This record gives sequence, C-alpha cells and structure tokens, in this order.
Amino acid sequence: MSALLLALLLSQAAEPVAEPVAGPVPESDLPRAARDTADVGPAGRWSAGFFNPTRLAIADSFELEFHPILFFVAPNLVGRFALSKEAVRVTIEAGLLVPTFGMRLTKGYLFPTWATSANDIGWMVIPRIGVLISGNVRKHDVWTLRADYAGRVLLGRNSATPLESFLAPLDLLMAAPTTGFLGGFGGAYDAAITQRLRLRAAVNFYVSGAANQNLYVDGNNLGPLAPRDPFIITTHVGLDVAVFKHSRITIGMLWGNYDQGATAIVLDKDGFAERVRGRSNNFLPTLDYIWAGGFGD
Amino acid sequence: MPIPRAAHPAPSWFLLLALTLPALGCEWVANDLTFEREAIPIYREHERSQVPTVSPTRLKVMAWNVKYGACRVDFWFDFWGDRTQLSSTEVSDCLTGVAKLIEEYNPDILMTSEIEVNSRRSAYVDMVRFILEHTPLRFAAYGQTWDSRYVANEGLGRIDLGNAIFSRYPIVKAERIRQVDRTDQSVIIKTFYIHRAITRVELDLGSDRRVAAYAVHTEAYDFDGTKQKQIDQIYKLATEEAKVMPFVLGGDFNELPPVCDERADAGTPESCEGKLQLKDFPDERASSKGTSYEQPPYTPSVMKKFYDDFSPSITLARYGVGTAAQRPYFSHSVLGPDSVNDQGQPGYWNRTLDYLFIRKNEGWENTDVIQVPGRLGVTADALRLSDHAPTAGTWVLP
Repeated sequence: MSALLLALLLSQAAEPVAEPVAGPVPESDLPRAARDTADVGPAGRWSAGFFNPTRLAIADSFELEFHPILFFVAPNLVGRFALSKEAVRVTIEAGLLVPTFGMRLTKGYLFPTWATSANDIGWMVIPRIGVLISGNVRKHDVWTLRADYAGRVLLGRNSATPLESFLAPLDLLMAAPTTGFLGGFGGAYDAAITQRLRLRAAVNFYVSGAANQNLYVDGNNLGPLAPRDPFIITTHVGLDVAVFKHSRITIGMLWGNYDQGATAIVLDKDGFAERVRGRSNNFLPTLDYIWAGGFGD
Repeated sequence: MPIPRAAHPAPSWFLLLALTLPALGCEWVANDLTFEREAIPIYREHERSQVPTVSPTRLKVMAWNVKYGACRVDFWFDFWGDRTQLSSTEVSDCLTGVAKLIEEYNPDILMTSEIEVNSRRSAYVDMVRFILEHTPLRFAAYGQTWDSRYVANEGLGRIDLGNAIFSRYPIVKAERIRQVDRTDQSVIIKTFYIHRAITRVELDLGSDRRVAAYAVHTEAYDFDGTKQKQIDQIYKLATEEAKVMPFVLGGDFNELPPVCDERADAGTPESCEGKLQLKDFPDERASSKGTSYEQPPYTPSVMKKFYDDFSPSITLARYGVGTAAQRPYFSHSVLGPDSVNDQGQPGYWNRTLDYLFIRKNEGWENTDVIQVPGRLGVTADALRLSDHAPTAGTWVLP
C-alpha cells in the first residue's frame, strides 16, 4: 500500500516523459532505462544494487555480471554478449556458479551437518546459458523475452537433496545445485510511466529436476525421494523510482506458485477426511537500491 | 528487483528473504497450535475390512510409538547416526513391517505416537492412510502436534507429526487437547518445535455402548518440568473421564514405571537403588550430553498416581524389581539390534516408557510388551520396526 501511495504521489508530481527535442538530451533527463533486458553496454556503463547483481559493460556489446555479496562463498560470473543491437535486440548469456562452499556454510540449518559420516554437499559447478530478446513498444517501454537453462556438473559424491523450503526464490536458487537442473522461460514488460517512475511486470515458468530424485547416503542409492511437481510459476510487479542522477529505488511484490509439499484436508460426502496435495503460493515483498554510473554526464 | 533467474546466485532474494521470513504466503511458517480443545477430522479406510462384532465384551488394544516410519534408521538427534531424511522406499518398507505386526496382533484399538502424515523426513507419506489401507483397522483420528512448514534444523524441512488412534469400530467423536509447551527454549526454537497434545476419541461399539480412547506422547527432552506437567494433565483428564465412560489410555509417557521414588535417599525403603535404573542407559551416547537431545533425569514418581488410580496393563508386581526382572517389559531402545554402542553391545530394549491404562476396577487379559517374535503370537520383529515396542493387551469391558 505504501508503495502504491508513493507511486501515486510521484507520478502526480513528476513531469511527463520527455519528448525528443533538438540536440542531445543528457541521459539523466530521460527516464531510467528498463532493467533486465537484452540491452548491453555501452562500454563503461555499470550498475550495482544491494541485492541486484553488479553489471559492468566491458565493451559496447559485452558486459559482465556477478553478485558481489555471494562472490566469495559462491563464485559466480555471467558474460552477456549482444548479438544484435537493432530495434529488436538479442543477447546471449553464459555463466558459471560454484555454490558448494556457500551451501556448506548453511549446514546445520538448510542442510544436514552429517556429523558422524563422510556424507557432504559435493563439489559442483553450475553452467548456465540463456538468451534474451528485447524490443521497444513506445519510446521508452521495453518488452523482453528470455529463456535459460542451468545444469549441475558434479565433481564428486554429493548427498545434498532438494531444499524444499517455503520460499520460491530460495528454492529456485538451489534448484539446479540440488535437483540437477533448472530451465525456464518468461517475459517482462517495463514501462516508463513518468520521467521518474517505471513499472515492470514479469512472468516466468520454470521446470526443475524435483520430480525424479534419489537419496544417496554413503554413496549408496537408498531409493527415490518423494516426487514433487517440478513446475514453478513466478510473477513479479515492481516499481522503480528514480533518485539522484542515475540511481533508483525498486520496490515490488513477487508471487510464486509451486509444490511445497502442502496438503489440505477435504471431507467426503459422509464427512470423512481425506488429505490431498496442492500447490502453494508465496507473496514476497522486494526492495533494493541500485546505483548506476558510466553515463558520462 | 528482478525475477530470479535460473542458477544465478541471487543474494537479492536470499538475503532479503532471510529478513522477511514471515513471508506473506497462504500457509504459516509454523503453526502455534493455539487451541485448548478442538474437534479433529476422522478418516475412514478405502478398502472395506470386515466389520467387527457388535457390542463386544473384550477389546484388543495396542499402544505403539512408530518412530515416523524410520524403523532403525539412526537420525542425528539420537547420536548414533546422522540421517535427516528417508527415501520413499525406506518408509514404505518400514510401514509394511509395522502394518504386518499390527495385522498379526489385530487390535480393535491402536494408539500411535510419532506418526507423520506429510513430513519431508519421512518422504511425505501419509502414515495414517497407509495403516488404514494395510491393516483391518477401519477408522482413524489424527491429532496433529507438530505443524511446521520448514524447520531450519539439519535441513529437516516440513513436519506434520502427531498421535493417531485407529479403530475397527466407528469413531463418532475425535478431538485433541493441548498440553503445555516447554519454557526452556528460545522464542524461535519454541515456535518451530513440537506442541504436545492428547488425542481423544469416542467409539461406538453398538447397542448404545461407547468407550473412549486416549493417545498420549509427552515431552522427551525438557529440563523445566514440562513432561511432569503434561503427565499431571493426562492424569486429571483420565480421572474426569473415568466418571463418564470406560476408557483406555495409551502411549509413550517418556517416563519410567514408579517402582521407587527417585527423590528418596539411598538406603531408604523408597530408594531406587538396585530397583530401577534411572540413568546411564546403554543406548545413551556420551556425545549427546550437553546438547538439546540430552536425556533429562527420569522422575518415575510422577507415574505413581496412574498405578494407584487406574489399572495398568503390566502391574508393578509383575514388572518386578531390578533390571533382570523388568527386562521382559522394557519398551524402548534408541539403539537397534544391528548397531552397537561404545562398549560394543548391540542395542536391545533397556527401559519402559510406554503404557496402557484403563479404569481401576476393569480387567486386563493377555497383556504384554511385544518385544520380539513370539510374544502375544506375533511373529514380526518389533525390535527392527521402531525404537519403541508395542504394548498390548485385551481389555475386558465392564
């Protein structure tokens, strides 16, 4: 509600989207760029959030992306290469994640300690590839389609099982490391409402390896784990509020729908109970502050 | 903030959500179970078993802590292993053995504890439904005592555990009665911990005859007197019930029989010295000392009033004095027969924690603790099916 009030206040106070005028317009006078699109560069452009990844354009068509907070416990790096920078932009992404050490830091909480055996979270790398396609609808509105796939390459014995938590983002984050793969596709629309406000809506569909997992103890397969519905749906609606020259605050809400193992009790015609499985919903607030630079103004 | 992408190490979500753990989902992260006494659903078998005799004169009853279908898999809190999760096959195999033993004894009423219906550690198996469909028992009531969406301890995850009462006779009323919580835990631990409750049902035996059954399971690890309070509450409920209708009360009390008074000084007639082992059981691992799973001191004196005012399936006279005499009635061992303790001894029943009680002037026949094959005509090996042995007997109805 506070986000809506803030949005309303800012949209009334702010100027309309700037129309093109003769001569170059400083980028700080334009609406903030749409986020998480196929757009890459130009060289020297960077952005970093508390929670959002850091992006640094090495060249006009190539940028690097990583999460600095996790980098030292889960080394990660993604390269983004623009194949096309025409009206419809196409970018491919390829990256690597080594999550083992970070996962091991959560032993005792999210994973077993395995205090009396040699079982452990195995060393692994998670390569990921993805493609993004973006285009403009109005001057500053951007649509984006994306698809990606991450798979696990085990480098030794692994006893970690799927997390099966109650938080969709955490389960997505751990899906490839614990179920073997995560594939997804989705779309987003990022609209410039005013010069200082952007509204972004996205929907994503994922499939993980949760349906076919086995329990490994001391290297032995002890049989299947309970199968889970591997399909996950998320939607996110977020509002970006421009602050200072190039930075922004983002606030939003994520909805996730997937199988968290929940059951409900239903009664038959005679009043007797039956337990039935169902999918669960997550509604999670999102918030970040994103710095940006390298605009040259 | 972006939608999380596949395999990105997204601290955005991880850290933010760690700060917003009470996520606005449609299901609470942990259920406080803030009822005092409430009705619970009744389940019925799908495959129809034989209908029992109307208005029986005797009922075969059994109380059994079934250890969430883990049989003798050593979980981390027992300190003999470090397992936290079972495969579907392990649970199914274990429950098949559990059901076989139940079917062999063929009770009219079964009171279970540590039964799970949707827990990650037991492969989300609905054990109430499993027992209904694999034994002659026709009706069940499940009294949930632990409902956490995610327990962040050893990756335990979702837990849905409780007591259940099964019956061949129709359950016409089912309820659960809340017990006091521990006071020696932090708010966070307490929130995600078990909230003990008593399950009570009323059975219709036909010809307008009703009996009640109670399934109980008291606290195992408290150092603040919670278990003693819970046992007192059970006693008060049973005392009131005795005025209303015949009942059977069974379960895992986590307490020793009142052969003596643990508070009495050594050398006095009431002393436990030489009469009852109170500590240093052979299945207690030294590494458990000082942890959350250390065995608290037993206080068998709290059970005395049950023996004074109700009729136990195994009397104190039959139980006897000293380990040798009592050994045939022990009902618990953390350690199974295929594992050895630090002294190299394989696990075997080493203490009594499970009981059956009926009203004072009602009778028992053929009571025993089904420790090993051959007891009460059962061929299944209970020592490999749970860390508790079933306690059983025939209740002669008034």
